[in-house]
Amino acid sequence: MKAKQRKDITRREFIKHAGAGLLAAGLGADLISPRRARAAEKTLRILQWSHFVPRYDTEWFDRFAQQWGEAKNVKVTLDHIGLAEIPARTAAEISAGEGHDLIEWISPPAQFEPSVLDLTDINQEAQRRFGKQLPVSTLSSYNPHTRKYYGFSHGWTIDPGNYRKSLWAKVGKPDGPETWEDLVAFGGRIKKELGIQLGIGLSQELDSTMAAWALLWSFDTSIQDAQENVTINNPRAVEAVEYMARLYKVAMVPEVFSWTPVSNNQALIAGRASYILNSISAYRSAQKQVPEIAKDIFFVPALKGPRGTRWSSEHVIYVYIIPSYSKSADIAKEFLLHLVANYDQAMYASELYNSPAFFDGPVPSGSRGYPPVPGVRTARDLHKAWFEDDPFRIEGEAKGKLAPLKGAMEWSANVGYPGPASPAVGEVFGTFILPNMLAKAAQGMKPAEAVAEAEVQIKKIFSQWRNRGLIGGKV
Amino acid sequence: MEGVEQAPVFSLRYVWEQERLLATVMIAPAVLYVVALIGFPFVLAIVYSLSDATTGDPALRLVGLRTFGLVLRDPVFLKALQNTFVFTLASQVLVLVLAKILALVLMEDFPGKRLVRFLILLPWTAPISLSAIGWLWIFDSVFSPIDWIARSLGLLGGPEALLGSEPNLYWLGRPFLAMASVILVQTWRILPLATVILLAGLTAIPRDILDAAQVDGAGFWRRLFQVIMPMLLPVMSIAFLFGFVFTFTDMTVVYVLTRGGPVNSTQVLASWAFFKGIEAGDLAQGAAVALFFFPALAGVTTLILLVARRAEVS
Repeated sequence: MKAKQRKDITRREFIKHAGAGLLAAGLGADLISPRRARAAEKTLRILQWSHFVPRYDTEWFDRFAQQWGEAKNVKVTLDHIGLAEIPARTAAEISAGEGHDLIEWISPPAQFEPSVLDLTDINQEAQRRFGKQLPVSTLSSYNPHTRKYYGFSHGWTIDPGNYRKSLWAKVGKPDGPETWEDLVAFGGRIKKELGIQLGIGLSQELDSTMAAWALLWSFDTSIQDAQENVTINNPRAVEAVEYMARLYKVAMVPEVFSWTPVSNNQALIAGRASYILNSISAYRSAQKQVPEIAKDIFFVPALKGPRGTRWSSEHVIYVYIIPSYSKSADIAKEFLLHLVANYDQAMYASELYNSPAFFDGPVPSGSRGYPPVPGVRTARDLHKAWFEDDPFRIEGEAKGKLAPLKGAMEWSANVGYPGPASPAVGEVFGTFILPNMLAKAAQGMKPAEAVAEAEVQIKKIFSQWRNRGLIGGKV
Repeated sequence: MEGVEQAPVFSLRYVWEQERLLATVMIAPAVLYVVALIGFPFVLAIVYSLSDATTGDPALRLVGLRTFGLVLRDPVFLKALQNTFVFTLASQVLVLVLAKILALVLMEDFPGKRLVRFLILLPWTAPISLSAIGWLWIFDSVFSPIDWIARSLGLLGGPEALLGSEPNLYWLGRPFLAMASVILVQTWRILPLATVILLAGLTAIPRDILDAAQVDGAGFWRRLFQVIMPMLLPVMSIAFLFGFVFTFTDMTVVYVLTRGGPVNSTQVLASWAFFKGIEAGDLAQGAAVALFFFPALAGVTTLILLVARRAEVS
């Protein structure tokens, strides 16, 4: 009996003592080493997408963030999730009032404005240190109606035209299309004579939506004006929709109605598309998977519309938000400034997928983890040098293939241009109204009718967000 | 000690012996589960739908029925409502017919029966998001193996080919084929559950009744429609009910295969609620769209349970 009693006591006591012991160890450590105690208090939790270029995360960003944390005595926790999960995850954390201190979006997170910190201070500080921010970034993180910076944009991705040189050479256009009309004339011939279609998505997904924006802008119209009034129903929008119906008929096949964001990449790599609108990611994949196709992929800037206007949408816009619940806002801001200060590494680690929002930021000296580029002082110099001579060019590949992208900042616009990105623009984007407008016309609906239908939906959305006080405009 | 009331001893044994108390204790977890994970979100959805809540704004401003008005005037919502019924009813009718056939086959003895049972159950065990990605490849516009087989057989891609002169059918790019594709995948997904339920029902039918019918000269079809089906009706109703509820509220298949496209031709209530409420941030409209599940599901469930009960009684 005695033995049993001792055993019972020991069990209970063990739990008690173990708990007390752990507590004492923790307190003791804090008392012995106050610095360690403080270190445990300083934390930074970052949530961001798994980058399309995996080495950006695995070989650079994760280590970069940890090293910064160690140098600053901050415990950095980094979580990567798929880009499709970001909206739901952010909504859940905002709703719970707890979660990450920094959340990175790759589209403007304007709908979260009421629940995130105003980042005017850090945006101003960044402009003081690194020069003027690119408008595409500012208009994707600043609400001119409420005069609040709801986010901080550190970079963006170019969305050029990717074309197969050998196919376009066979129809007498070796340097690829320059205008939207070239797609009909030469793209149509490629399909008819060589049996290869071109691929501009008309589907319920991101790339199709970006292509729709680019088309509208290049036809001198948009869904809104600079003051956030809905302007979609006009003759130029009808002209753009008519054009897309014509393009679909001569140069595309029904697959474009079912595309996912990776479908255009796959079609290009599989040799089943003569032209696509996409970032350089498709080309980078081809370099690794099918070098022969990669060698045949070349690039053109945004295509010109009937009156010579040309615009392309940013393909990705990187915007960090700091939710209001964050207790590490100052640390988060410090980290963001550190990120921009080292953007040369971000550009290189992303294989030029990321372009900087601050082109005049200085490039730090010393060993930077990439072959030195002589004479480079700013991010703009580096951008120019790398796009003239791609450091990731594979053996036997032509030099200067990315050169047409050097001036991309001149023809790239934010979603919502000429107005700012906003929650209304985001909802139009997220419910696929624009690609569906084009797809309906391609499937036989009268273009004017398709535009009128889209206008009804867009006006409803704008009206809702205007009632919530988050966008300007009257119509 | 006589006449002195003893205080009740709240031991495990005491609880075990008090039937009412035991019943309460045992049912409590289920009640808690329903209240916390179904009741509370349901009430929250009602509150959201009567407000102009967004994912980005914790403030709750009540706006009455205005959100429902907006939803009901939205052509995409009406299309999604219609699609949800088409998607659910078509897939469940297919499920019942195929499950019945499979169950009858599995009642018989044949070599490899265990393997066939395992294979039939496999779709139920695989995570739907993974298997839907597999189907996405099967219906791929460029690499579809179905198209490849059709081309190899000369049914597709030639000037005189039965299925058309184009090299692909573009399963997910044509509205009719896209709807057929999502129905097919949902049927494939629900079929194992329905088969197991019907198999259990078939096993429970007394053998002597079937033998008596056979002795009386009833052939296979007569036995099937006049003996087996009436006796199986309560079980079939339950299989249909499960399939209906799972399918009506599901968005995985549609989300992975078509994201509601082309041009919303496969958009269903669940996916539209997600796109509107989470992706686009309009939580109020997302909640209002999702609430349309309730009358449909409540009505169909009541009807099916009534049918099952009557069949059982008769």
